[in-house]
Amino acid sequence: MSNAENDNLLENKTITSLSTSLLENIKTIQNSLGNSNDIIIREFLVGKPMEIPIAIIYTDGLADNTSINDFVLESIMSNFEVTSETTLQEIAIRLKAYCITVGSIKDIADFSSLLNAILSGETILLIDGLAIGISTSTKHFKDRAITEPVTEAVIRGPRESFTETLRTNTALIRRKIKSPNLWIKSRVIGEVTQTEIAVMYINGIANEKIVKEVLHRLDQIDIDGILESGYIEQLIQDSKFTLFPTIYNSERPDVIAGELLEGKIAILVDGTPFVLIVPALFTSFLQSAEDYYQSAFISSFIRLIRFIGISLALVAPSLYISLTTFHQEMLPTSLLISIYAQREGVPFPAFVEALIMEIAFEVLREAGLRMPRMIGSAISIVGTLIIGQAAVEAGIVSAAMVIIVALTAICSFLFPAYGLSNSIRILRFPLMGLAAMFGLFGIFVGIMLLIIHLCSLRSFGVPYMSPYAPLIPKDQKDALIVLPRGSLLTRPRLISQINNVRGRKNR
Amino acid sequence: MKKTILMISLIFLISILSGCWSKRELNDLALVAALGIDLIDDEYAISVQVIDPSQISSKQTASRQAPVVTYHAKGKTVFEAIRKILALSPRKLYFAHVQLVVLGEDLAVDGIRDSIDFLARDQEIRNDFTIIVSQQATAKDILNVLTPIEKIPAKKMLNSLTVTQDAWGSTSEVDVEDLVTKLGVKNQYFVLSAIEIQGDKSLGIDQTNVERIETPVTLNFTGLAIFKEDKLIGYLDEYDSKSFNYLNDNIKSTIEIIACPSDGVLTTEITQSKTTTKGSIKNGSPTINVSIDIVQNVAEVKCDINLTELTTIDWINRQTELSIKKNIDESLHVLQQKYNADVLGFGEAIHRADPKEWKKIKEDWHTIYPNVEVNVKVNVNTQGSGTMQNSKLKE
Repeated sequence: MSNAENDNLLENKTITSLSTSLLENIKTIQNSLGNSNDIIIREFLVGKPMEIPIAIIYTDGLADNTSINDFVLESIMSNFEVTSETTLQEIAIRLKAYCITVGSIKDIADFSSLLNAILSGETILLIDGLAIGISTSTKHFKDRAITEPVTEAVIRGPRESFTETLRTNTALIRRKIKSPNLWIKSRVIGEVTQTEIAVMYINGIANEKIVKEVLHRLDQIDIDGILESGYIEQLIQDSKFTLFPTIYNSERPDVIAGELLEGKIAILVDGTPFVLIVPALFTSFLQSAEDYYQSAFISSFIRLIRFIGISLALVAPSLYISLTTFHQEMLPTSLLISIYAQREGVPFPAFVEALIMEIAFEVLREAGLRMPRMIGSAISIVGTLIIGQAAVEAGIVSAAMVIIVALTAICSFLFPAYGLSNSIRILRFPLMGLAAMFGLFGIFVGIMLLIIHLCSLRSFGVPYMSPYAPLIPKDQKDALIVLPRGSLLTRPRLISQINNVRGRKNR
Repeated sequence: MKKTILMISLIFLISILSGCWSKRELNDLALVAALGIDLIDDEYAISVQVIDPSQISSKQTASRQAPVVTYHAKGKTVFEAIRKILALSPRKLYFAHVQLVVLGEDLAVDGIRDSIDFLARDQEIRNDFTIIVSQQATAKDILNVLTPIEKIPAKKMLNSLTVTQDAWGSTSEVDVEDLVTKLGVKNQYFVLSAIEIQGDKSLGIDQTNVERIETPVTLNFTGLAIFKEDKLIGYLDEYDSKSFNYLNDNIKSTIEIIACPSDGVLTTEITQSKTTTKGSIKNGSPTINVSIDIVQNVAEVKCDINLTELTTIDWINRQTELSIKKNIDESLHVLQQKYNADVLGFGEAIHRADPKEWKKIKEDWHTIYPNVEVNVKVNVNTQGSGTMQNSKLKE
């Protein structure tokens, strides 16, 4: 974060310069921060024989005590000599040149930057008589270790995931892409939270226009706080009225690196392990990182299974409703007889039956997610025994319906990306309603509207349904199926038109 | 804003109010498995075999109720009778899964054209069900027989029909579409499979019929019923039906028995049969040439012959050819002399071969047909003798 940018963002605030009096400066700082007791102000005298009052100010917990003690306090207090001839400017220069043994230092002249630096974990050195503060980077706080990804598990592939610290996250990506063209543009968003945002892309592969558009949309954000990347996602997505996610997110550095290589742009937000990727295509939500790590044949098979899964998760209950209430003639006779026998004595219409079971499942699922881990087994017992077995035995729902609900549930867990699974879960209900009212006709109208809607969506200018609609034959190599690595020679056409070919020899 | 809310609620109301109009819950339907049509005192007597869902569910405990229920009603038309049944049935009858239609013998003799119209016309009934004729029984009697193992009698009859056609060759599956096509042609002959009741008719209705190790009353396919235009004119027995299917190129698999040179018999299994029928007219007299190519395996040997020798196989081939040809000639005699029924479409074959000459003899075809010369040429090829060569039991 540079000073210039900082100033830029805080334009509306009145910038008051520091005074030359140390006592006055300290008073102003204390007043601005409301005398909070985690702000440590240490005043002391340096220099022999001349003694000059100096103060260091830092936030306890955000700054590293060890480095303050070893590299700031100790070196200044023990080795600093000042004669009567030395001017204050010279003192400042010598302090920076000889005494402060810390990586990065900066001069700060106004209070807003000064406060920002303190609250970011930096240590400020104020010298009586000088209207500047020296900021030394001593940022250090307890962050979570890099662990295995929780939401995107793979069998084969890297085991690391992003953490809540922005710097760790950018480092994780840099560790994968050691190119000088991996550029970072940063922003600070959130009037109160002052959250750091980093926009990462590979210069020369990513589309400049989209990079500009991303930065533009980020600059437009006017909000008091950003607590998670979901805030950013909702604020910058193309269409607000859609159930489908038009921005991809991942907590896997390898996924983000792969997307960057395709010419996409990553948005990292401090404080969350979920990194955003734009532009996002519908098909990327059905792709897992592992698809590229294992044999293309297996990956292609699994991708087809996922497409079947998404269709089933979307329409299985509504198909059941329409077939059993409108189109009994379409079922094979023996299957119909079997369902017929099971539904005997069920008091509800098929639609109500399906609705009860689907809602019961959603309740169970949400309960399983929110409850404390210790009582997890209780939920599964209640779920399986009461909803599954007892309901069928009591004749309240038919066994076929339980199978349908279970199938839908399992299919909705098939998606590598959680966002799409949520949309499908919600859309199931209107489709069930249509099926109950109009049968198959209703389902097809519903699906048609859905497809029209999907085709109208765009993510940062790129058609959401590409490479299916518009159909891009060349990009089919990595869509429904995935071809072996050696055949994936070009990057997706619509993401970025510059530098479309992977590898040097192919150019 | 108000306008938007109004629009949304209107769209919602449109779907709520107009939706669901053809909705029918499964629990409100009575699945009809089979339909029987009889003619009694110039009125159609309809019998429907309805599935009782609680009796066929897999988790049921053994109960004394029958898996199907039949209802009967009479009416001036088929449709009237069917609507009259609604008064008897606890639920609305659902005909889309009718698997079988049984035509009563009396109706068949009187003519089936008028009763088929409803079956072919109604949009709820699918057009893939099979039509059979009851022999020496009413359709009602046939539908009133309970069957073991396959709990739904309609399904049992259909299964037997298909299996018999595939492995024995004495029946022929005809669905309503085939029938409508044939009923539309003047002077057309066709066949339907015939079913009869073996045992005391009145006992078949009782649950005890399916509780014994040997079922006292059974349903049995006897062969084919011959129709002229839409009237039943007679039956072919099992063997004649088989010969008919040979000639009609409708044999998938069957068996043949030939006598051994010394003592005993030898059975072969026909695995392929291909028939080509060609007509010709020479000097005004029509001739039909039928050639049948058969592939078979030796299936059961009850005589003392050496199957490892090529001459024996040749001998089996020749004997099978003779045996089949003899059977076919006898059946042709029945068709030509006894019934004078051109079921095999020999007239069509001649028409195709020589349209000009056919025009001349077309009007007199029913007098010419009984004496038409039919040359049957059978060519049999034996492929194997099963998992044994010479019978070890004989040594």
